[in-house]
Amino acid sequence: MPRNNVSWRRLVFVILIIASLALLTITFREADSGPVHTIQRAGAGILAPLQSWGAKVAKPFQDGYQWFKTLWSAHRRAERLEEELQILKGEAIKLEETVEEYKRLQGLLDLRDKGVYPDGTDFAVADVIAKSPSRWSSWVLIDKGTADGLRVGLPVVGATPMTGETLSGKGLVGKITEVTSNTAKVLLIIDSSSSVSAKIQGNRAEGIIEGSVSGDLTMDYVERDVAVDPKLVIVTSGYGPIYPADIPIGIVASVGEEDVNIYKEIEVQAFVDFRVLEEVMVLILPEEEP
Amino acid sequence: MSRGWPAEIGRVVLLMVVAVALQTLIVSRVSVLGVTADLFLILTVVTAIGRGSLYGAVFGFAAGVVADIAFLEPLGVRALIYVLMGYMVGSLVHRFTSVNLWGVFLLAACASFVAQVAYGLFQYAIGPRAGFFVILTTQVLPETVLDALVTVPIYVLLIRLRVVPAPHAETAAAGVGQE
Repeated sequence: MPRNNVSWRRLVFVILIIASLALLTITFREADSGPVHTIQRAGAGILAPLQSWGAKVAKPFQDGYQWFKTLWSAHRRAERLEEELQILKGEAIKLEETVEEYKRLQGLLDLRDKGVYPDGTDFAVADVIAKSPSRWSSWVLIDKGTADGLRVGLPVVGATPMTGETLSGKGLVGKITEVTSNTAKVLLIIDSSSSVSAKIQGNRAEGIIEGSVSGDLTMDYVERDVAVDPKLVIVTSGYGPIYPADIPIGIVASVGEEDVNIYKEIEVQAFVDFRVLEEVMVLILPEEEP
Repeated sequence: MSRGWPAEIGRVVLLMVVAVALQTLIVSRVSVLGVTADLFLILTVVTAIGRGSLYGAVFGFAAGVVADIAFLEPLGVRALIYVLMGYMVGSLVHRFTSVNLWGVFLLAACASFVAQVAYGLFQYAIGPRAGFFVILTTQVLPETVLDALVTVPIYVLLIRLRVVPAPHAETAAAGVGQE
């Protein structure tokens, strides 16, 4: 037994370090169905209601914050509209939020109704309840899970307010990488580990859309002799097991070439503004027969 | 530990529950310059300053495990980092008779910086590749400043609420400090 406070402290410290390393080792070595992963998913399931509730509690504060952000530009018009503004201000915030939510949901409906998906595809609309805490990874946590038919590998689409004249705000968001009974983790296409097989509408050039830590999207593996113009729309090509074909991703923002690179360097502007993503729609594709 | 250790442990557990609630309810939703404050790390630092390296390390371990569960990240990463931060900050504070608010600010900034570099190295090892200066300027430095700025008022608040004792009082009462 340790004889004094210092020895006791050091012993506990060493035990905690060993426990941390053991947890880390087990996490990486055991299968997804292993006990540590199971405990983690159960823990996440316990925290999910708190996070979901948190999203609802925080929303008025976020709305208030957004309101303060827009207040500055509104202030310049305030002299003429001051009196009317005071009366309608409170109501307008609520209405504006309702309209925004309506537009987002309408966008999701458009994606559902106008998209061409495999027969038997079902849809689940979910709220975003948490986002990745650092730029190292880009993911969101949504409030639907296995209880709603979700599973790992399903594609996710979303709709956000329009970010530019040519951007619809509707498009591919990412794919589910982890799922618990009531939550799922969606890896965004802007994550540095994400890659999506895609094609450019108009010239049918094919390539891979890749994310990055900075949040920028690039399209790689497009041959240099293929003509690519800015503003062309990029959609999923449908190759691979995850994403069905023809889901809109974004537009060509710029095209570059380097002497040392046999492929073009294409920067892509996503349709979806990932910073303001609040609702998403999971495409529940029919399970393939083994 | 003193004779009132059950009450002290109760306070630390309460602090953990509050940390989980605040991080998920508010802090993770408020981003400044594209980053959010890490309340788990901040409370680990505050606990280590107020209660010493033993409490700091234990709180850091528990906070890290909870954070990994909440964010569905590999279990043990944050636990390891926060244990190290809790122990190091606690050990550093025990070398001084007291810590003023500038000291709290600097300790929090150093802990945040080191924790992020460690976390970044781990991330770099398992996958994501990023330019050093990009991640330094867009993630590490902004969060270091934000964490340090948020730590000071939280530290003052928790001292006022007597959830965490002032470090000099702890040192005097426990008769420790020689490490």
